[in-house]
Amino acid sequence: MMTAHSSSQDTATAHKAAAAPKSHRTVSEGAVAAIFLAPAIVAVLVLRIWPTGLALWQSFHVGAAGRFGLANYTFLFSDPSFHDALAATLLFSLIVNPFQIACALGLALVLNRDLPAGPLWRTLVLLPVAVPQSVSAIIMGVVFRPDGPANALLATIGLPAQGFLTTPEQALYTIILIVSWIGVGYWTTFLLAGLKEIPAALYEAAVIDGANSWQQFRFITLPQLRRPLTFVLVADTVANFLVFAPVQILTKGGPQGSTNLIMNDIYARGFLSGDMRGAAAETGILVAIVVIIVAIQFRMMTGAKSE
Amino acid sequence: MKQTYHPGPLAIAVAASVAAMLPLIWAGVSALRPSAEIFQYLSPLSIRTLVPTQITFDNIVALWSGQFARAMFNSALVTALTVAIGLVICSMAAFALAALNYRGRSVVFTAMIVSFLIPFDSIAVPLSQVFRDLDLQNSYAGLILPGIGNGLAVFLLRQFFLGIPRELSEAAMVDGLGWFGIFTKIYVPLSKPALIGAGLILFVFQWQAYLWPLLIAPNPDYHVASVSIASFAGQYDVDYGQMFGGAVFTALLPMGVLLVFQRYFIASFASTGSKD
Repeated sequence: MMTAHSSSQDTATAHKAAAAPKSHRTVSEGAVAAIFLAPAIVAVLVLRIWPTGLALWQSFHVGAAGRFGLANYTFLFSDPSFHDALAATLLFSLIVNPFQIACALGLALVLNRDLPAGPLWRTLVLLPVAVPQSVSAIIMGVVFRPDGPANALLATIGLPAQGFLTTPEQALYTIILIVSWIGVGYWTTFLLAGLKEIPAALYEAAVIDGANSWQQFRFITLPQLRRPLTFVLVADTVANFLVFAPVQILTKGGPQGSTNLIMNDIYARGFLSGDMRGAAAETGILVAIVVIIVAIQFRMMTGAKSE
Repeated sequence: MKQTYHPGPLAIAVAASVAAMLPLIWAGVSALRPSAEIFQYLSPLSIRTLVPTQITFDNIVALWSGQFARAMFNSALVTALTVAIGLVICSMAAFALAALNYRGRSVVFTAMIVSFLIPFDSIAVPLSQVFRDLDLQNSYAGLILPGIGNGLAVFLLRQFFLGIPRELSEAAMVDGLGWFGIFTKIYVPLSKPALIGAGLILFVFQWQAYLWPLLIAPNPDYHVASVSIASFAGQYDVDYGQMFGGAVFTALLPMGVLLVFQRYFIASFASTGSKD
């Protein structure tokens, strides 16, 4: 009797002893996580939340006394320079994104084929993707000078010389070519990675069913590539929304405001005109647009099950 | 079965390769010829356009004895420290978001990735005011700090960590290893490809940076390579030989890194863009 009692007590103690570190562990797992997360959370707070909050705070304050008001926004929306910046950014986005993605898709399809010396071409197209846009601006800016190699090439094939960056009609399109030199290869890399994951069996089955290459593209490649394609579309849109270096280095937004993209407008407003509150208001609008696009991007990176 | 090649796709691949490399080659050749020759042989285009009559290293020597040497050193230092510190911070965060179980994990994950996905440049102007208030202008810390937290790097590492079975951690715990030991002795050694991929993301971000260094480090002693070459273009009397030399050197380093780590780069792209 006594023995049985004491033994059951022993078991209980043993149970307790075994349970204790376990419950201790579940409690501390959150605490451990807090320690591991702390530097990244501090980084988020200082590098993203604080400046966004500061921009919003500044944008809603007006006058020397810093009273609360909407004047920065009403001024911004009545400012022709801001209108031009929005129009230029919109036009730029509407052309550069479809252009880069169409080129990237075509190039990815070509590079995914079994070509002679295939790895060589893939490497050569991939290599410049990490080249800074400032380098692209420096080199391509000279290429597109009126007396530069681009016009020399046109002359050789019998076409008239173009103004490129010097005319308001062509400057924005020249900037599009300049950012695409690196951009197309960059997005090609994503699409090529996506193409590699399409099972070869799908194409083999389609060939047996007598599908031609257009039908294979339309009914296998495109649907299978939908996720990487949408990802590239969204990420490309965000990246091109913020193009700055080529504009700042080559045109300063000109001629006649034709290349005054929104990042350049914010920079010029804040640092050349000294209107930090106006720049803050414009930053607020930019972040609002970008957050919407980024939310879509995040859904696509994580939410595969939502189909 | 005999393989037949269509000439069309090959022609496109060759043309794209030429288009990707030719501007760099032309800039490189221009840096190696006397400045007077750079625009001399353009029209009509001929073999002389790309083949100098004489090769000179004057531009390169002048380039490296000027401000550019310092800027290149700054870029290398800032980028190396960004990758090192960034990998520690991002992999620790990814570990907490993948290996540890606690309430609110998915909320923290969503909040962190979405905040970091807000492109850095969009908040660079107000952040530069914050950094000036913190007295970080014209300093290496000011240049490095914005690059150390990267949403894509955290995301990539977390996806990889999720694939490491929890049984490994539990077995290690029985052997007396704590969470920190599990992180450094199990997760980090098993995740080399993901760490290289994340390192490349951090590297490319920092090496490409232009707007931020322009805002936070106007002092020439703290110029990075991308700002330094742009300052050539802004001069009244542009020295094209030196400018092209600087541009090519600034391009060569990331190209070399990419050439070595190509495989990991493509793999990291695949996991952010296409995996289900």
